[in-house]
Amino acid sequence: MVIDETKCIGCGKCLPFCPVQARGFGRSASGGRTFIVIDKDKCIECGVCERAGVCPVDAMHMEELPWPRTVRGILSNPLLEFKATGVPGRGTEEIKTNEITGRVKYGRVGVGIEMGRPGISARWAEVEKVCMAVAKMGIGFCEGNPITHFMADKKTGKLDPTVLNEASLSAIVEFEMDETQIPELFRILREEVNDQIDTVYTFEIAARLEANGTTTVIKAIEDGGYQMLPVSKNNLGLGRPRFQEEVSA
Amino acid sequence: MTHSLHRRGDVESLKKDFLILSCSAKGFNDGWYGPLGSEFVRVCTKHKPVNGGDMKTGNLLYVDPEEIANKVTNTTILEFNFDNKQNVIDCIKELKERDLGISIVISGMIDEVNDIVQKAGLPKVHTREFSLGTHGKTRLLPEWEVLEFTTMCGHAMVASEYVKKAIVEARKGHVSPREAAVQMGKCCSCGNFNVNRAVELMEKNAPLWTSDYPAY
Repeated sequence: MVIDETKCIGCGKCLPFCPVQARGFGRSASGGRTFIVIDKDKCIECGVCERAGVCPVDAMHMEELPWPRTVRGILSNPLLEFKATGVPGRGTEEIKTNEITGRVKYGRVGVGIEMGRPGISARWAEVEKVCMAVAKMGIGFCEGNPITHFMADKKTGKLDPTVLNEASLSAIVEFEMDETQIPELFRILREEVNDQIDTVYTFEIAARLEANGTTTVIKAIEDGGYQMLPVSKNNLGLGRPRFQEEVSA
Repeated sequence: MTHSLHRRGDVESLKKDFLILSCSAKGFNDGWYGPLGSEFVRVCTKHKPVNGGDMKTGNLLYVDPEEIANKVTNTTILEFNFDNKQNVIDCIKELKERDLGISIVISGMIDEVNDIVQKAGLPKVHTREFSLGTHGKTRLLPEWEVLEFTTMCGHAMVASEYVKKAIVEARKGHVSPREAAVQMGKCCSCGNFNVNRAVELMEKNAPLWTSDYPAY
């Protein structure tokens, strides 16, 4: 995001719309004018300020982002399409289409670790810490996810070094693993992630439900000392063609 | 990954917050999803959603539903928000009867969703995603009362500072709770933001909010 300092009248109407408070007041060299200044290091190029439409003098505009700043926009502005998937947004279809894709099967779970969420943002060096910590479990990072796309080594979770100083409003580390690995995942997050990162993450696990409408994943979550929040996301199984999966044992 | 999974709030408030979503499956039905997605929009808008839309076209707070339906492409992600459980049941029933063959996802309280699935005549939920909360440096998070608003936009387009400003302005009578909620909802172009719930939260929080906000 760019502010035209010759147009900006420093009214501050755009200030509260910034999700990461990357704006402040600046003053011209002569001291005569006040205008809004964007902290480019904090700005995650989400575009919220411009879309709010509150600038009375049209002093804001989105610039074409150079590499590697591009990744800020991809992961922060939902209106931008990630060209590798052709889908706007920060993650993948994950379980939204699971009845068709068969992505999360019985005995397996889909995991999402949403760095910087809700509304804090995450530096990609922090994202790499999480990727490298969970990669030791031998999990498979989801293809089509922007974080996976920017990995230099998908086995170790190491990211392309040129993106490490970038930041985004959220960055979703997505992978699948065996249900039996849940205790080890919890241990890693508690011992190697929670106190080591300079941001927050929001955490989710997805599983196929058995014919009786339950899953043993719930017990694994509870045994691991985690508490499920009351809201859930549910694929109703109405899509076609249905993925043909062996019946649950 | 989770447009609507991580909403915060008390149980009674979350019981009035549902989201129905549809999108195409890449490599499977993304060659012909568009017209089916348009039908999905028309069915959902019949059942009185509070909000809804898609991130590119915009949401029902400022875009006509037929325009949303007409602009659906093979890769559009569609979302409609409801505050009334019976409307959700009726909507899911109709979607099942129409047999569009596209993936339908519903977010809401686990017990409420189970009841909706049963009453809509579906056998069971196919795949469920559970929220395990927020961890790490949680002292960076804003107040709980602010999170109740901001987490209604999965992309975090509703800034916590704006929510604080809106609460103060509503308390001072400069804007009505609905005006403030609608302005927040416009920031969330997907239509994820439950404006009616935001009005209730505003009416609950504004009189109790003790901190002030810089008068920008």
